[in-house]
Amino acid sequence: MPDSLQGALDLLILKTLARGANHGFGITLHVQTVSAGLLRVEEGSLYPALHRMERDKLVAGEWRVTDNGRRARFYKLTPTGRKRLAQAEESWTAFSKGVAKVLRFA
Amino acid sequence: MNDDELRDELEFHIAERARLNQAAGMPAREARDAARRQFGNVTRIQEEARRMHAGEFLESILNDARYAWRASIRVPAFTLTALFAIALGVGSSAAVFSVVDRVLFRGLPYPHAERLVSFGMAAPIEPTEFILGADYVEWRASQKPFEAITTWSDLVDCDLTDRNPARLSCARVEASFLPTLGIEPLIGRNFTLDEDRPNGPTAALLSYGLWRSRFGGSPQVIGQSVPLDGRPVTIVGVLPSSFELPTLAHADVLLPQALDLAAQRRPDTGRVMRGYARLKPGVTIEQASAALAPLFQESLKWVPPMFRREVKLRVRSLRDRQVQDARLASWVLLAAVFSVLLIACANVANLMLARAAGRRRELAVRVALGAGRARLIRQTFTESLLLALFGGALGCGLAWVLVKVFVAIAPGGIPRLDQATLDARVLLFALLASMLAGLLFGLAPALSNPHAESLTGRRTVGATRGWFRQSLVAAQIAVSLILLAGAGLLLRSLWNLENAPLGMRADSVLTASITLGRQSYPTPERQQAFFEELERRLSGVPGVTALALSDSLPPSGNTHSMIYSLIDVEGRARAGEGTGGMVVWRSVTPAYFTALGIPITRGRAFEEADRQPDQNPVVLGASLARRLFPNQDAIGQRLRPGRSGPWRTVVGIAADVRNNGLAEPSAPEYYVPRHHTPDGATRSANLIVRSPLDPRGMSDWIRREIAALNPTLPVTVESMQQRVGKLAERPRFNAVLLGLFAAMGLLLAAVGLYGVMAFLVAQRIQEIGVRMALGATRGQIARLTLSQAARSTAAGALAGLLGSFFATRLLRTLLFQAPERDPLSLGIALAVLLTVALAAAFIPARRAAQVDPIEALRQE
Repeated sequence: MPDSLQGALDLLILKTLARGANHGFGITLHVQTVSAGLLRVEEGSLYPALHRMERDKLVAGEWRVTDNGRRARFYKLTPTGRKRLAQAEESWTAFSKGVAKVLRFA
Repeated sequence: MNDDELRDELEFHIAERARLNQAAGMPAREARDAARRQFGNVTRIQEEARRMHAGEFLESILNDARYAWRASIRVPAFTLTALFAIALGVGSSAAVFSVVDRVLFRGLPYPHAERLVSFGMAAPIEPTEFILGADYVEWRASQKPFEAITTWSDLVDCDLTDRNPARLSCARVEASFLPTLGIEPLIGRNFTLDEDRPNGPTAALLSYGLWRSRFGGSPQVIGQSVPLDGRPVTIVGVLPSSFELPTLAHADVLLPQALDLAAQRRPDTGRVMRGYARLKPGVTIEQASAALAPLFQESLKWVPPMFRREVKLRVRSLRDRQVQDARLASWVLLAAVFSVLLIACANVANLMLARAAGRRRELAVRVALGAGRARLIRQTFTESLLLALFGGALGCGLAWVLVKVFVAIAPGGIPRLDQATLDARVLLFALLASMLAGLLFGLAPALSNPHAESLTGRRTVGATRGWFRQSLVAAQIAVSLILLAGAGLLLRSLWNLENAPLGMRADSVLTASITLGRQSYPTPERQQAFFEELERRLSGVPGVTALALSDSLPPSGNTHSMIYSLIDVEGRARAGEGTGGMVVWRSVTPAYFTALGIPITRGRAFEEADRQPDQNPVVLGASLARRLFPNQDAIGQRLRPGRSGPWRTVVGIAADVRNNGLAEPSAPEYYVPRHHTPDGATRSANLIVRSPLDPRGMSDWIRREIAALNPTLPVTVESMQQRVGKLAERPRFNAVLLGLFAAMGLLLAAVGLYGVMAFLVAQRIQEIGVRMALGATRGQIARLTLSQAARSTAAGALAGLLGSFFATRLLRTLLFQAPERDPLSLGIALAVLLTVALAAAFIPARRAAQVDPIEALRQE
């Protein structure tokens, strides 16, 4: 179970990147906006997670220039990452369903 | 991703956030600060990223090492003592390993050397296995256990007689010799079967050294002809530089054995050879020996029946043949240095325990802050390994020095000692030894890690820890005692050896060994003429008390010898079975007995008249006289050694002289006069000069006189005492080394005892203060401390005594006339140990007695 909770950050990152390559700051913005401010990704967790996922070849990083002309490191999903995303979505759905059932029962 | 890129990435994030803040209406500076605050600790993210790349484990090991380094330089006394102990232990082990590795472990320079054996018969006349040509031909034809079989004949001098003559050492080998050993010539080829036949084409293989020094290493030598002993011989090949003869003897040239099969059965032309063979795969030495037994029995039929029982078949590995008696001494030395290493480990373990006690608070804080037990144990091991590796590196320096010292003080004849160097193998050994030592002495503190509770409690020195540390000290003392006992025994044996009566007076005697060249002195007449002339020149010179010539010199074992049962006694039936052992004989001039100070106990010594060809007197050594004529007067009896030649009349009996080296029992001996005729001529002889004059001036004079006769003769002039001293070199070397290691062990053990006692006293200062306040006298306090030291010393000494009973049995065959359980040397070892232990415990005891109770209690 803690696995699933910890996996939540990975899932959020993967899902965000599924829309297209983005940099770390973009990911925090996206999550915050889409969740209407309910979820906030901590920078202190985001970057280590990104680097770990890059090491595990789930995402690939490259330096690009942003629209406003600054150098930023963009991450995009790799095929492995895409597969992992599918698995993670599935297990998250199962997990949240389970939690919801327990909550409703209690 | 490197650090710079990482920083850029994070900076970008902060800048974007700041831009957003600014857009929301914050002033620029505030916007940036807020962004930075929200981001949190940049360094932590960087560290985490770094760890991910370098591997977390390695990173924390480096952290541990950094920490250990800082902790070590904070306590230089501890660190230096520990490094000293490890360096001593690892250094001496590595040095000894580099010496014995060649003897015991390292592969011989032949492919599949483990299948090479030396085989033959051993008999009293030649205890090193040999095989006669006739037997070899039979064995070669029908042997089963060997894949290949070959022989060579012992080295002989041979002269290279071209423009620049040189005395070389030549060995005769079969064409099958190199293939059996698995050696290919560096250039050229091996002998052909045709060259290995009698009167075949001439052929020679050069050693690498001779090829380089004499022929400039030119490949053109193949096919060249060189004059060897005046006969042209064709060079067919050059041996590789790594080539060595199976006995490690040095040969410059290999010549074909050219065994004449027909001649071998005749006793006068049969050749004595050394047999070597390669076992078939899977055949053991025992199986080979059993398989050869029928052939051996067949060969025994040719041995005179009276000798048969004393001839044995011997098959042994090449390594055994090479190292002979060096094997045991090597193991003893290796065991001794490992003991020193163990003592060093126990010592450092104790030091680390003492330090751990001092760091208890620091470690407890770390535990309280969340360091896991495993983490702390790893920290301890990192520290001990770091110490061990540094100590080991220092030890390698020490080993380098020690190897130089060993080689410098070692006598000749220790196999392969000259090859001892610190190479990769020895360094690897040193590395492994230090790692092992590090693990060993890291174990003790690691197993006694503190808990967070120690923070709350006051000083609670575990009684168990004190017990453990004392037993470490006891173990050091036990091992030191074993080393001391062994060294004491070897020294006692050496003393016996050097003080055993020689049967002659070695003082004020100079000897000169002269060997005439084959080329300049080809005939017995020429040889005889040289020595006669030499004798004439030297005799009658003032200052020379006595001057004699002889063909050999006591007490070394290089003499003529004769089978006892081949001595016929006039009027007595020949003896039955058995050789009766060997009898030594020498041909000497009349002054021999005076010159060497050998007393004539009955009858007379030789006289000038005895040197006429028709005179055949004999002087018997006392033990031979007793044996030949048990209840008779030997004087006037006649005997004929060797069952041929003239009958000799016994004219005198000389006292026994040590004549078979220092350690071996002496053989019975007789003397014959050196005739003035060529029948007694030899190529080499020894000049013996007794003179009260300064030996240096005397030896110069002898050299000058010899040079006046022939300036090109190589001459060795030595005093008799030097000669005798040389014979004790090997035992002296063993005893000195073992003594050295025992001293190291003792020193380390003393340091260890001192350290523990000082530590215990420091810990008990308050207790001592209370005791004194309650009325204990200084004497009682000192006794209290000393009794603690006495307990561990006594326990160690007891264990050491038990251990030395077993350890000294190992030394049995290295001893000369010393019992393996020698109460005297053991007692002295014990006394030395106890004295040193008492001295080591005395200083802390005195400190304990000088504690000021008020000061001590104020510390509470």
